[in-house]
Amino acid sequence: MTRRDFTERDIHMALDGELPGEERMAYDAWLEANPEMRAKSARYIADRAALRAALAGVMDEPVPARLRQAVFGEAPARGPAWRSRWWLSAAAAAVLMVGGISGYVAGIDGIGRSDNSDDQLVEQAIAAHVIYAAEKRHAVEVPASDKDHLQTWLSNRVGLKLVAPDLVAQGFELVGGRLLPSGEHGKAAMLLYEDAKGERISLFVTAESSEAAKGTYSAEADGPQAVYWLDKGYGCAVVGSLSRERLSDVAKSAYGQLLAGISS
Amino acid sequence: MDDKKAAILSEIPRLRRYARSLLRDRDSADDLVQDCLERALVRLDNWQTGESPRRWLFTIMHHLFIDQMRKVNRRGEAAMLPLEAGEAQSAPADQVETVASREIMDALQAISPDRRAALVMVAIEGFSYAEAANILGVPAGTLMSRIARGREELRGLLDDSSRRRSIRIVER
Repeated sequence: MTRRDFTERDIHMALDGELPGEERMAYDAWLEANPEMRAKSARYIADRAALRAALAGVMDEPVPARLRQAVFGEAPARGPAWRSRWWLSAAAAAVLMVGGISGYVAGIDGIGRSDNSDDQLVEQAIAAHVIYAAEKRHAVEVPASDKDHLQTWLSNRVGLKLVAPDLVAQGFELVGGRLLPSGEHGKAAMLLYEDAKGERISLFVTAESSEAAKGTYSAEADGPQAVYWLDKGYGCAVVGSLSRERLSDVAKSAYGQLLAGISS
Repeated sequence: MDDKKAAILSEIPRLRRYARSLLRDRDSADDLVQDCLERALVRLDNWQTGESPRRWLFTIMHHLFIDQMRKVNRRGEAAMLPLEAGEAQSAPADQVETVASREIMDALQAISPDRRAALVMVAIEGFSYAEAANILGVPAGTLMSRIARGREELRGLLDDSSRRRSIRIVER
Protein backbone atom coordinates (compact mmCIF):
# COMPACT_ATOMS: atom_id res chain seq x y z
CA MET A 1 0.00 0.00 0.00
CA THR A 2 1.35 3.40 -0.91
CA ARG A 3 1.27 5.83 1.96
CA ARG A 4 0.88 9.48 1.34
CA ASP A 5 0.76 12.51 3.52
CA PHE A 6 -2.68 13.82 4.16
CA THR A 7 -3.47 17.50 4.57
CA GLU A 8 -6.39 19.64 5.51
CA ARG A 9 -7.52 19.43 1.93
CA ASP A 10 -8.25 15.75 2.48
CA ILE A 11 -10.63 16.63 5.30
CA HIS A 12 -12.81 18.45 2.80
CA MET A 13 -12.51 15.67 0.27
CA ALA A 14 -13.42 13.04 2.84
CA LEU A 15 -16.37 15.13 3.97
CA ASP A 16 -17.59 15.60 0.43
CA GLY A 17 -17.21 11.98 -0.59
CA GLU A 18 -14.31 12.72 -2.89
CA LEU A 19 -11.63 10.72 -1.10
CA PRO A 20 -10.79 7.56 -3.07
CA GLY A 21 -12.09 4.49 -1.23
CA GLU A 22 -8.69 2.86 -1.03
CA GLU A 23 -7.29 5.84 0.87
CA ARG A 24 -10.02 5.89 3.46
CA MET A 25 -8.34 3.64 6.01
CA ALA A 26 -5.04 5.50 5.84
CA TYR A 27 -6.94 8.78 6.12
CA ASP A 28 -8.84 7.61 9.19
CA ALA A 29 -5.58 6.55 10.80
CA TRP A 30 -4.05 9.93 10.02
CA LEU A 31 -7.04 11.70 11.51
CA GLU A 32 -6.87 9.52 14.59
CA ALA A 33 -3.24 10.49 15.08
CA ASN A 34 -3.83 14.24 14.62
CA PRO A 35 -6.14 15.64 17.29
CA GLU A 36 -6.12 19.07 15.72
CA MET A 37 -7.21 17.76 12.35
CA ARG A 38 -9.70 15.45 13.99
CA ALA A 39 -11.27 18.40 15.79
CA LYS A 40 -11.41 20.36 12.58
CA SER A 41 -13.11 17.51 10.77
CA ALA A 42 -15.62 17.08 13.59
CA ARG A 43 -16.38 20.77 13.53
CA TYR A 44 -16.96 20.85 9.79
CA ILE A 45 -19.24 17.84 10.09
CA ALA A 46 -21.21 19.57 12.84
CA ASP A 47 -21.51 22.80 10.84
CA ARG A 48 -22.69 20.87 7.83
CA ALA A 49 -25.30 19.08 9.93
CA ALA A 50 -26.51 22.44 11.26
CA LEU A 51 -26.70 23.83 7.74
CA ARG A 52 -28.61 20.82 6.49
CA ALA A 53 -31.00 21.02 9.41
CA ALA A 54 -31.58 24.73 8.82
CA LEU A 55 -32.46 24.10 5.18
CA ALA A 56 -34.24 20.77 5.53
CA GLY A 57 -37.65 22.32 5.99
CA VAL A 58 -37.58 23.92 2.55
CA MET A 59 -37.91 20.53 0.87
CA ASP A 60 -41.13 19.85 2.73
CA GLU A 61 -42.76 23.16 1.97
CA PRO A 62 -45.53 22.99 -0.60
CA VAL A 63 -44.36 24.34 -3.94
CA PRO A 64 -45.84 27.83 -4.38
CA ALA A 65 -48.48 27.88 -7.10
CA ARG A 66 -46.67 30.61 -9.01
CA LEU A 67 -43.66 28.34 -9.48
CA ARG A 68 -45.75 25.46 -10.72
CA GLN A 69 -47.52 27.85 -13.05
CA ALA A 70 -44.19 29.18 -14.30
CA VAL A 71 -43.29 25.72 -15.58
CA PHE A 72 -46.42 25.72 -17.70
CA GLY A 73 -45.93 29.29 -18.84
CA GLU A 74 -48.98 30.36 -16.87
CA ALA A 75 -47.42 32.44 -14.15
CA PRO A 76 -49.24 35.71 -13.59
CA ALA A 77 -47.39 38.68 -15.04
CA ARG A 78 -45.18 40.44 -12.56
CA GLY A 79 -44.89 44.19 -12.32
CA PRO A 80 -41.87 46.04 -13.63
CA ALA A 81 -40.28 46.15 -10.22
CA TRP A 82 -40.69 42.50 -9.29
CA ARG A 83 -37.10 41.67 -9.95
CA SER A 84 -35.83 44.07 -7.39
CA ARG A 85 -36.91 41.92 -4.50
CA TRP A 86 -34.37 39.20 -4.92
CA TRP A 87 -31.94 41.64 -6.36
CA LEU A 88 -32.15 43.71 -3.21
CA SER A 89 -31.78 40.64 -1.15
CA ALA A 90 -28.65 39.90 -3.11
CA ALA A 91 -27.55 43.47 -2.50
CA ALA A 92 -28.00 42.93 1.18
CA ALA A 93 -25.92 39.81 0.96
CA ALA A 94 -23.23 41.66 -0.93
CA VAL A 95 -23.17 44.28 1.76
CA LEU A 96 -22.40 41.68 4.34
CA MET A 97 -19.28 40.67 2.55
CA VAL A 98 -17.88 44.17 2.40
CA GLY A 99 -14.58 43.99 4.17
CA GLY A 100 -12.27 41.09 3.84
CA ILE A 101 -13.58 39.76 0.59
CA SER A 102 -12.66 42.59 -1.68
CA GLY A 103 -11.12 40.12 -4.10
CA TYR A 104 -14.50 39.07 -5.28
CA VAL A 105 -15.52 42.62 -5.95
CA ALA A 106 -12.22 43.46 -7.57
CA GLY A 107 -12.47 40.42 -9.78
CA ILE A 108 -15.70 41.45 -11.40
CA ASP A 109 -14.99 45.11 -11.85
CA GLY A 110 -14.16 44.70 -15.49
CA ILE A 111 -17.47 43.19 -16.48
CA GLY A 112 -19.36 45.36 -18.93
CA ARG A 113 -22.49 47.13 -17.90
CA SER A 114 -25.76 45.57 -18.72
CA ASP A 115 -29.26 46.77 -18.35
CA ASN A 116 -30.47 47.32 -14.78
CA SER A 117 -34.14 48.06 -14.77
CA ASP A 118 -34.38 46.48 -11.36
CA ASP A 119 -33.77 49.24 -8.95
CA GLN A 120 -35.73 52.00 -10.52
CA LEU A 121 -36.87 53.68 -7.38
CA VAL A 122 -33.43 54.29 -5.99
CA GLU A 123 -31.92 55.36 -9.26
CA GLN A 124 -34.82 57.68 -10.00
CA ALA A 125 -34.54 59.15 -6.54
CA ILE A 126 -30.86 59.86 -7.02
CA ALA A 127 -31.40 61.27 -10.50
CA ALA A 128 -34.16 63.55 -9.26
CA HIS A 129 -32.01 64.71 -6.39
CA VAL A 130 -29.08 65.48 -8.67
CA ILE A 131 -31.31 67.55 -10.95
CA TYR A 132 -33.55 69.39 -8.52
CA ALA A 133 -31.40 69.84 -5.45
CA ALA A 134 -29.01 71.85 -7.63
CA GLU A 135 -31.80 74.25 -8.66
CA LYS A 136 -31.80 77.40 -6.60
CA ARG A 137 -35.05 79.03 -7.65
CA HIS A 138 -36.97 76.17 -9.21
CA ALA A 139 -36.10 73.29 -6.94
CA VAL A 140 -39.70 72.72 -5.89
CA GLU A 141 -43.16 73.14 -7.35
CA VAL A 142 -44.88 73.88 -4.07
CA PRO A 143 -42.90 75.69 -1.38
CA ALA A 144 -42.86 74.81 2.31
CA SER A 145 -44.83 77.97 3.05
CA ASP A 146 -47.77 76.14 1.49
CA LYS A 147 -47.14 72.93 3.39
CA ASP A 148 -50.76 71.87 3.90
CA HIS A 149 -51.51 72.16 0.22
CA LEU A 150 -48.24 70.41 -0.61
CA GLN A 151 -49.14 67.44 1.56
CA THR A 152 -52.71 67.17 0.30
CA TRP A 153 -51.72 67.53 -3.31
CA LEU A 154 -48.90 64.98 -3.20
CA SER A 155 -50.99 62.57 -1.12
CA ASN A 156 -53.73 62.64 -3.72
CA ARG A 157 -51.39 62.23 -6.64
CA VAL A 158 -49.20 59.53 -5.16
CA GLY A 159 -52.02 57.69 -3.43
CA LEU A 160 -50.51 57.64 0.04
CA LYS A 161 -51.27 59.69 3.09
CA LEU A 162 -48.15 61.79 3.00
CA VAL A 163 -46.91 63.82 5.94
CA ALA A 164 -43.74 65.81 5.32
CA PRO A 165 -41.42 64.68 8.13
CA ASP A 166 -40.13 67.25 10.58
CA LEU A 167 -36.34 67.03 10.38
CA VAL A 168 -35.50 70.11 12.42
CA ALA A 169 -33.86 67.96 15.06
CA GLN A 170 -31.46 66.77 12.36
CA GLY A 171 -30.87 70.34 11.21
CA PHE A 172 -33.04 70.26 8.08
CA GLU A 173 -35.91 72.53 7.12
CA LEU A 174 -38.47 71.67 4.47
CA VAL A 175 -37.96 73.63 1.24
CA GLY A 176 -40.94 72.19 -0.57
CA GLY A 177 -41.89 69.39 -2.89
CA ARG A 178 -42.71 68.27 -6.37
CA LEU A 179 -44.42 65.47 -8.23
CA LEU A 180 -42.34 63.09 -10.33
CA PRO A 181 -42.99 60.06 -12.51
CA SER A 182 -42.05 56.74 -10.95
CA GLY A 183 -41.67 53.34 -12.53
CA GLU A 184 -43.64 52.87 -15.73
CA HIS A 185 -46.95 54.38 -14.75
CA GLY A 186 -46.61 55.55 -11.20
CA LYS A 187 -46.01 58.82 -9.46
CA ALA A 188 -43.63 59.78 -6.73
CA ALA A 189 -43.45 62.66 -4.30
CA MET A 190 -40.15 64.40 -3.82
CA LEU A 191 -39.66 66.49 -0.71
CA LEU A 192 -36.62 68.70 -0.53
CA TYR A 193 -34.92 69.76 2.70
CA GLU A 194 -32.05 72.11 3.40
CA ASP A 195 -29.78 72.67 6.38
CA ALA A 196 -28.27 75.95 7.62
CA LYS A 197 -25.24 75.49 5.37
CA GLY A 198 -27.37 74.99 2.28
CA GLU A 199 -26.79 71.24 2.12
CA ARG A 200 -29.84 69.59 0.59
CA ILE A 201 -31.40 66.20 0.92
CA SER A 202 -34.40 64.69 -0.85
CA LEU A 203 -37.11 62.33 0.26
CA PHE A 204 -38.61 60.31 -2.49
CA VAL A 205 -41.86 58.47 -1.76
CA THR A 206 -43.88 56.26 -4.05
CA ALA A 207 -46.77 53.84 -3.69
CA GLU A 208 -45.39 51.71 -6.49
CA SER A 209 -43.40 49.21 -4.51
CA SER A 210 -44.48 45.64 -3.94
CA GLU A 211 -41.24 44.60 -2.36
CA ALA A 212 -39.85 44.58 1.12
CA ALA A 213 -36.22 45.57 1.39
CA LYS A 214 -33.93 48.19 2.75
CA GLY A 215 -30.39 49.27 2.24
CA THR A 216 -28.14 52.01 1.04
CA TYR A 217 -27.07 52.63 -2.47
CA SER A 218 -24.86 55.01 -4.37
CA ALA A 219 -24.68 55.24 -8.13
CA GLU A 220 -21.18 56.65 -8.15
CA ALA A 221 -18.42 56.55 -5.61
CA ASP A 222 -18.48 60.29 -4.93
CA GLY A 223 -22.12 60.93 -5.84
CA PRO A 224 -25.04 61.22 -3.46
CA GLN A 225 -26.07 58.19 -1.46
CA ALA A 226 -29.55 56.86 -1.03
CA VAL A 227 -30.95 55.09 1.95
CA TYR A 228 -34.10 53.29 0.97
CA TRP A 229 -36.91 51.20 2.28
CA LEU A 230 -39.31 49.27 0.19
CA ASP A 231 -42.40 47.62 1.49
CA LYS A 232 -45.66 46.46 0.06
CA GLY A 233 -47.55 49.52 -1.09
CA TYR A 234 -44.87 52.13 -0.56
CA GLY A 235 -41.23 52.80 -1.13
CA CYS A 236 -39.11 55.56 0.30
CA ALA A 237 -35.62 56.77 -0.42
CA VAL A 238 -33.63 59.50 1.29
CA VAL A 239 -30.90 60.92 -0.91
CA GLY A 240 -28.06 63.24 -0.04
CA SER A 241 -24.32 63.74 0.04
CA LEU A 242 -24.03 63.57 3.80
CA SER A 243 -21.80 61.37 5.88
CA ARG A 244 -23.24 57.92 6.19
CA GLU A 245 -23.98 58.43 9.89
CA ARG A 246 -25.84 61.65 9.30
CA LEU A 247 -27.75 60.35 6.29
CA SER A 248 -28.76 57.27 8.16
CA ASP A 249 -29.83 59.36 11.14
CA VAL A 250 -31.96 61.62 8.95
CA ALA A 251 -33.36 58.66 7.08
CA LYS A 252 -34.43 56.86 10.20
CA SER A 253 -36.27 59.87 11.50
CA ALA A 254 -37.87 60.57 8.13
CA TYR A 255 -38.91 57.00 7.63
CA GLY A 256 -40.44 56.71 11.08
CA GLN A 257 -42.51 59.85 10.52
CA LEU A 258 -43.53 58.86 6.99
CA LEU A 259 -44.62 55.47 8.17
CA ALA A 260 -46.58 56.95 11.05
CA GLY A 261 -48.24 59.30 8.55
CA ILE A 262 -49.03 56.61 5.99
CA SER A 263 -50.58 54.30 8.53
CA SER A 264 -52.43 57.00 10.47
CA MET B 1 -47.90 16.39 -19.47
CA ASP B 2 -44.67 16.93 -21.30
CA ASP B 3 -41.84 14.81 -19.86
CA LYS B 4 -39.43 17.70 -19.75
CA LYS B 5 -41.84 19.83 -17.80
CA ALA B 6 -42.55 16.99 -15.40
CA ALA B 7 -38.82 16.63 -14.81
CA ILE B 8 -38.47 20.36 -14.19
CA LEU B 9 -41.42 20.33 -11.81
CA SER B 10 -39.84 17.64 -9.68
CA GLU B 11 -36.68 19.73 -9.26
CA ILE B 12 -38.47 22.73 -7.78
CA PRO B 13 -38.04 21.75 -4.12
CA ARG B 14 -34.27 21.46 -4.59
CA LEU B 15 -34.08 24.68 -6.53
CA ARG B 16 -35.96 26.40 -3.76
CA ARG B 17 -33.60 25.02 -1.15
CA TYR B 18 -30.57 26.16 -3.10
CA ALA B 19 -32.09 29.59 -3.68
CA ARG B 20 -32.92 29.88 0.02
CA SER B 21 -29.34 29.14 0.92
CA LEU B 22 -28.17 31.82 -1.50
CA LEU B 23 -30.68 34.49 -0.54
CA ARG B 24 -32.24 33.53 2.78
CA ASP B 25 -35.46 35.47 2.34
CA ARG B 26 -38.21 33.17 1.15
CA ASP B 27 -39.91 35.49 -1.32
CA SER B 28 -36.62 36.63 -2.80
CA ALA B 29 -35.49 33.04 -3.15
CA ASP B 30 -38.75 32.06 -4.86
CA ASP B 31 -38.39 35.02 -7.21
CA LEU B 32 -35.00 33.66 -8.20
CA VAL B 33 -36.49 30.21 -8.74
CA GLN B 34 -39.29 31.68 -10.83
CA ASP B 35 -36.73 33.58 -12.88
CA CYS B 36 -34.85 30.35 -13.38
CA LEU B 37 -37.95 28.41 -14.41
CA GLU B 38 -39.00 31.08 -16.87
CA ARG B 39 -35.59 31.14 -18.46
CA ALA B 40 -35.52 27.35 -18.55
CA LEU B 41 -38.82 27.28 -20.43
CA VAL B 42 -37.53 29.66 -23.05
CA ARG B 43 -34.49 27.46 -23.51
CA LEU B 44 -36.21 24.13 -23.34
CA ASP B 45 -34.76 23.21 -26.71
CA ASN B 46 -31.21 23.71 -25.46
CA TRP B 47 -31.71 21.02 -22.90
CA GLN B 48 -30.26 17.91 -24.40
CA THR B 49 -31.95 14.62 -23.79
CA GLY B 50 -29.92 12.60 -21.37
CA GLU B 51 -28.58 15.70 -19.62
CA SER B 52 -29.60 15.78 -15.99
CA PRO B 53 -32.42 18.29 -15.51
CA ARG B 54 -30.97 19.06 -12.12
CA ARG B 55 -27.61 20.10 -13.42
CA TRP B 56 -29.17 22.07 -16.26
CA LEU B 57 -31.51 23.98 -13.97
CA PHE B 58 -28.89 24.63 -11.32
CA THR B 59 -26.62 26.04 -14.02
CA ILE B 60 -29.32 28.44 -15.17
CA MET B 61 -30.08 29.55 -11.66
CA HIS B 62 -26.47 30.00 -10.77
CA HIS B 63 -25.92 32.26 -13.76
CA LEU B 64 -28.92 34.37 -12.82
CA PHE B 65 -27.65 34.67 -9.29
CA ILE B 66 -24.08 35.56 -10.22
CA ASP B 67 -25.19 38.08 -12.86
CA GLN B 68 -27.20 39.88 -10.24
CA MET B 69 -24.41 39.78 -7.70
CA ARG B 70 -22.15 41.40 -10.26
CA LYS B 71 -24.63 44.16 -10.88
CA VAL B 72 -24.90 44.73 -7.19
CA ASN B 73 -21.19 44.99 -6.79
CA ARG B 74 -20.75 47.33 -9.70
CA ARG B 75 -22.72 49.84 -7.76
CA GLY B 76 -19.93 49.99 -5.29
CA GLU B 77 -20.13 49.76 -1.62
CA ALA B 78 -23.50 49.47 -0.03
CA ALA B 79 -24.46 48.91 3.54
CA MET B 80 -27.49 47.72 5.34
CA LEU B 81 -28.99 49.90 7.94
CA PRO B 82 -28.95 48.59 11.43
CA LEU B 83 -32.26 46.99 12.08
CA GLU B 84 -34.47 48.01 14.90
CA ALA B 85 -34.17 45.86 17.96
CA GLY B 86 -36.28 42.78 17.66
CA GLU B 87 -36.88 43.31 13.99
CA ALA B 88 -36.09 40.14 12.17
CA GLN B 89 -34.86 41.11 8.75
CA SER B 90 -35.27 37.97 6.82
CA ALA B 91 -37.04 35.40 8.94
CA PRO B 92 -40.59 35.30 7.70
CA ALA B 93 -43.13 35.68 10.45
CA ASP B 94 -44.67 32.32 9.76
CA GLN B 95 -41.37 30.53 9.93
CA VAL B 96 -40.06 29.60 13.30
CA GLU B 97 -36.34 29.34 13.25
CA THR B 98 -34.25 27.97 16.01
CA VAL B 99 -31.39 30.10 17.22
CA ALA B 100 -28.92 27.63 15.76
CA SER B 101 -30.61 27.73 12.37
CA ARG B 102 -30.72 31.46 12.36
CA GLU B 103 -27.09 31.75 13.31
CA ILE B 104 -25.84 29.41 10.68
CA MET B 105 -28.05 30.94 8.00
CA ASP B 106 -26.83 34.40 8.94
CA ALA B 107 -23.26 33.22 8.77
CA LEU B 108 -23.87 31.58 5.42
CA GLN B 109 -25.20 34.86 4.05
CA ALA B 110 -22.08 36.62 5.24
CA ILE B 111 -19.61 34.58 3.23
CA SER B 112 -18.88 35.51 -0.36
CA PRO B 113 -21.48 34.42 -2.92
CA ASP B 114 -18.93 32.32 -4.79
CA ARG B 115 -17.95 30.40 -1.71
CA ARG B 116 -21.51 30.12 -0.54
CA ALA B 117 -22.63 28.65 -3.84
CA ALA B 118 -19.73 26.19 -3.97
CA LEU B 119 -20.19 25.02 -0.42
CA VAL B 120 -23.95 24.62 -0.62
CA MET B 121 -23.83 22.85 -3.93
CA VAL B 122 -21.55 20.17 -2.56
CA ALA B 123 -22.43 19.99 1.13
CA ILE B 124 -26.20 20.43 0.86
CA GLU B 125 -27.18 19.61 -2.69
CA GLY B 126 -24.81 16.66 -2.89
CA PHE B 127 -23.19 17.41 -6.22
CA SER B 128 -19.76 15.90 -6.81
CA TYR B 129 -16.80 18.23 -7.21
CA ALA B 130 -16.84 17.57 -10.95
CA GLU B 131 -20.55 18.35 -11.26
CA ALA B 132 -20.38 21.43 -9.09
CA ALA B 133 -17.33 22.77 -10.93
CA ASN B 134 -19.21 22.25 -14.17
CA ILE B 135 -22.32 24.07 -12.95
CA LEU B 136 -20.34 26.96 -11.53
CA GLY B 137 -18.10 27.08 -14.58
CA VAL B 138 -14.83 26.98 -12.64
CA PRO B 139 -11.92 24.52 -12.55
CA ALA B 140 -12.12 21.80 -9.90
CA GLY B 141 -9.18 23.33 -8.03
CA THR B 142 -10.99 26.65 -7.74
CA LEU B 143 -14.11 24.89 -6.53
CA MET B 144 -12.13 23.04 -3.87
CA SER B 145 -10.48 26.18 -2.59
CA ARG B 146 -13.85 27.94 -2.45
CA ILE B 147 -15.29 25.10 -0.44
CA ALA B 148 -12.33 25.00 1.93
CA ARG B 149 -12.33 28.75 2.44
CA GLY B 150 -16.08 28.84 2.70
CA ARG B 151 -16.07 26.28 5.49
CA GLU B 152 -13.28 28.06 7.28
CA GLU B 153 -15.04 31.38 6.96
CA LEU B 154 -18.32 29.93 8.17
CA ARG B 155 -16.60 28.44 11.20
CA GLY B 156 -14.89 31.74 11.98
CA LEU B 157 -18.17 33.61 11.76
CA LEU B 158 -19.94 31.18 14.02
CA ASP B 159 -17.10 31.30 16.51
CA ASP B 160 -16.77 35.01 16.77
CA SER B 161 -19.79 36.16 18.65
CA SER B 162 -19.14 39.85 18.28
CA ARG B 163 -18.69 39.42 14.61
CA ARG B 164 -21.75 37.27 14.58
CA ARG B 165 -23.77 40.12 15.93
CA SER B 166 -22.26 42.36 13.32
CA ILE B 167 -23.81 40.24 10.61
CA ARG B 168 -27.03 41.99 11.29
CA ILE B 169 -25.53 45.33 12.18
CA VAL B 170 -22.81 46.09 9.72
CA GLU B 171 -23.07 49.81 9.72
CA ARG B 172 -19.96 51.47 11.07
